[in-house]
Amino acid sequence: MKRPLQAVLLVLSGVGLLHAALLTDLYLRYVNDWMRPLLIASGAVLLLLGAAEAWSLRRPGRSRETDERHHEDHHGDGHGGDGHDHSGVPGVAWLLLLPALSLLFHAPPSLGAYTASRQATKPVVQQDEFDPLPATSPVPLTLRDFTSRVQQDREQALKGRTVRMTGFVTPGERGEGWYLTRLLINCCAADAQSVKVRIHGAPPPPADTWVTVVGTWHAGGTLGTSSAPVALDARTVSKVDRPANAYTDALPLSPPR
Amino acid sequence: MRQAEERAGESYGSVAAPAVDDEASADADGAPADADGVPAGGWPRHWPLLLLGAAVLPGTVLFVVGRWGDEPAVQAWRTVCLSITVQALPFLLLGTALSGAINAFVPARVFTRVLPRNPSLAVPVAGAAGAVLPGCECASVPVANSLIGRGVTPAAAFAFLLSAPAINPVVLATTAIAFPGSPEMVLARLLASLATASAMGWLWLWLGREKWLRPAVRHTGHRPGRSRWTEFRLGFQHDFLHAGGFVIVGAMAAATFNVAVPDSVLGVFSDSPWLSVLFLAALAVLLSVCSEADAFLAASLTGFSPLARLTFMVVGPMVDLKLIALQAGTFGRAFAIRFSAATAVVAVLCSVLIGGTLL
Repeated sequence: MKRPLQAVLLVLSGVGLLHAALLTDLYLRYVNDWMRPLLIASGAVLLLLGAAEAWSLRRPGRSRETDERHHEDHHGDGHGGDGHDHSGVPGVAWLLLLPALSLLFHAPPSLGAYTASRQATKPVVQQDEFDPLPATSPVPLTLRDFTSRVQQDREQALKGRTVRMTGFVTPGERGEGWYLTRLLINCCAADAQSVKVRIHGAPPPPADTWVTVVGTWHAGGTLGTSSAPVALDARTVSKVDRPANAYTDALPLSPPR
Repeated sequence: MRQAEERAGESYGSVAAPAVDDEASADADGAPADADGVPAGGWPRHWPLLLLGAAVLPGTVLFVVGRWGDEPAVQAWRTVCLSITVQALPFLLLGTALSGAINAFVPARVFTRVLPRNPSLAVPVAGAAGAVLPGCECASVPVANSLIGRGVTPAAAFAFLLSAPAINPVVLATTAIAFPGSPEMVLARLLASLATASAMGWLWLWLGREKWLRPAVRHTGHRPGRSRWTEFRLGFQHDFLHAGGFVIVGAMAAATFNVAVPDSVLGVFSDSPWLSVLFLAALAVLLSVCSEADAFLAASLTGFSPLARLTFMVVGPMVDLKLIALQAGTFGRAFAIRFSAATAVVAVLCSVLIGGTLL
């Protein structure tokens, strides 16, 4: 790979990262929010590295010398031992162009219903003590909180309460019914796990729509044990905007209008 | 995993020949014999393309063929692939910057003074030293490469390479968070990872051959008459571009498995204790989750025994698709195939032995 091209590649990668992490919040589609400073720093370092490379090539004399050595190296690649130096970069480095251009021009969306429908539900963390529910009605709850209260809260605090939850729509298996869903990540989207609440009593909105659902627990089994279904009888279903960070299980902020 | 290795062995067999020639039959630990006696083919330099093909082809097939080929699958593939890459880049930069700095600024005598002279002793010391590099696995490969370049015995550098992503404080802390109330899991992970790293170092001393290592990418160290900063910059740049390309190959392969294998497959193997250990080891290789996040994933695999989940966390940081691609790019494919196969076997054995007594 020619050295001016290396500079271009470095600058593009740096700009791509800065675009995703500093100028927009595209990065939230791919990684957890604590990665942001790391990504900005990486983008800046790559940009500097590319700029330094470009600057060093502007100076006459020196660059030609290293360029010649690069050609020599390229022939030696794979046979080894003949004075390979740092300037010979294999063609596989071109692949760095893909994420850079992808981030800049055609960023894929966050994971959604497709991934959630193919995944087992994230297991409920064992929890013995539950805080009393706030007195407001409907009670805003996260999907995780709802799940663990339905299956573990011996006090049955949810009984008769109206709750409000936000998530995206995942169609049920074979087109039957639908789930209110969140995907949660620890590090990057490759480790996403889903939380799902089955919704009864409302026609399914299109997959991947973000909605806020108000309703009551769908009775079945014994509330507070694992026999209770994680399901909701919907009273209202209203569309909401996709949150900036789609991979958290945040409370619904404002009441739907 | 077995199948994947054998396939890899077959397809790279003729290709691997020119670099390693005919002495390769003494394979560590039953790694598939892949490179002996095959005459040099006309395409030795195209193997990254083959690897790329293996990674991209399933994705493309997903795109073109059948019911799964509609938009969401492809988008999920792109998202997962990009997220693995984005997540790996900062750690890769850290590792390559460190390797560039070691190369340009640290005199070789520092390492000979710090490490015990006897290689067998240097191996566990280097393994324990892995605790100081707070990165995931992408950072450790370039660092290990520059250590070898500065005269550290390869066995010790490999022990460092394997232990660094597994036993650093960040990873142990996330393990403790992911398994609340079971400190023995953290201890078992630490011990099993250290044991695997040391065992692989000693195994390299016993069976390893220098000629499996590609001598092409040599760190020459500081040369008189050149600016140390320029050397640092060029080394950093070279290592990053080089390793970055291979990380993307690995990310593509991992994304393919991530999207193509539904979670429901997981339930099939959880009943049999031995199969589940092997299955989670294979899953760790295929999914290539960052070592700082794999504890959470392991904790979520509740259908499996603690032993199987420990295996997942020990194998994952040491052998996975993106790591294999990175090692192949850095040390050469002859090395990467043997080393990864042997490491996988040793890691499973160590997890079973240590996990069996502790858990």
